[in-house]
Amino acid sequence: MAKTEIRVGGLGGQGVILCGSIIGKAAAIHGGKQATLIQAFGPEARGSACSAQVMISDEPIGYPYVKHPDILVIMSQDAFTQFLPQLKPGGLVLYERDLVDPRGVPEGMRCLGVPATRFAEELGRRLVLNIVMVGFFAGITGLVSIQAVERAVLDSVPRGTEDLNMRALRKGYDYGRAQSTLIS
Amino acid sequence: MALDTFPETVTLRDGSTAVLTPLQPSCSGALLAFYRALPEEDRLVLKDDVTTGDWAEGFLRKVETREVISLVAKSGGKVVGEATLYRTLHGWTRHVGEIRVTVAPAFRRRGLATALASAQVKIATDLGIEKIIVQVVDNQLAARRTFEKLGFHKDAILPHHVMDVAGTKRDLIIMANDVSQIWAAMEAANQDYAPHLG
Repeated sequence: MAKTEIRVGGLGGQGVILCGSIIGKAAAIHGGKQATLIQAFGPEARGSACSAQVMISDEPIGYPYVKHPDILVIMSQDAFTQFLPQLKPGGLVLYERDLVDPRGVPEGMRCLGVPATRFAEELGRRLVLNIVMVGFFAGITGLVSIQAVERAVLDSVPRGTEDLNMRALRKGYDYGRAQSTLIS
Repeated sequence: MALDTFPETVTLRDGSTAVLTPLQPSCSGALLAFYRALPEEDRLVLKDDVTTGDWAEGFLRKVETREVISLVAKSGGKVVGEATLYRTLHGWTRHVGEIRVTVAPAFRRRGLATALASAQVKIATDLGIEKIIVQVVDNQLAARRTFEKLGFHKDAILPHHVMDVAGTKRDLIIMANDVSQIWAAMEAANQDYAPHLG
């Protein structure tokens, strides 16, 4: 049974939960797999620590809590520091390159960065950095197809923002595909 | 950034296609021919006399300075529609853009106006314009429906403001789309906080 545990971490306002939700929707609703999502917020809405636990499996999931993730998707330094010790041996860290200094990743763990904030700003809205991260995740891991993620993004973002979000997704995905050879 | 996805081929309701592309200086003759071929009644609702070479020259200058963004729709090598985004580059309405759409009679009711208007809304959003307006006459029901589908609503009515070829005065409706609200919704989706979950 193939099961992948994912932890998405960052700061409130970065769209951490939406990022996890889209990955889960892509897998479960559009990818024919099983998925669960658990979200955790800090005491404040914006700027406090925030994370999402996503589990993707070919089989029904009995226990949805992520204790030792296979993959970390990290958008802040605090989240990196907090969740890196939980990563499974041989696990994968996908991080926002301009916001996270990935020093301290133990040998044997794979670590790839994407300038998601810069890409989002180049596209016109910093707000879509989480969607760049989703694309990067899909491009690197191949756990969910780009078609499934596209549909999940379209299901999840407000009307009128679809076009820019799709371009953000594609930007992250293409960057991820180009880098995916580094971990194979 | 805003125009890098063009040219874009759109499929119309009847299965035919048109290509949307930013206006190039080399295309000004075709644009002029398009406007000159419009029925006089249609040209009356346009703000400028679009049949003169002077107008075309001035229009191209504004395209070069990006004061206006013009998209033309081409089919069979001819211009069959045009949509313009007018914006003010300075001053107190610099956050506002105005869209004007014109389609050749043979291409109406086929979804081309919607495609052109939708493309301009996306361009305006990409350019950071926060409010987009269009002006329609009260009896232009199809145009009003098209813009309503794109998120526009009545913002103001100027009673008896325009007069048609028969001398009938009609209300001018200003419809607006507050695009900033769209991104406020995206910000809300990203807020990572759900008080109702405790």
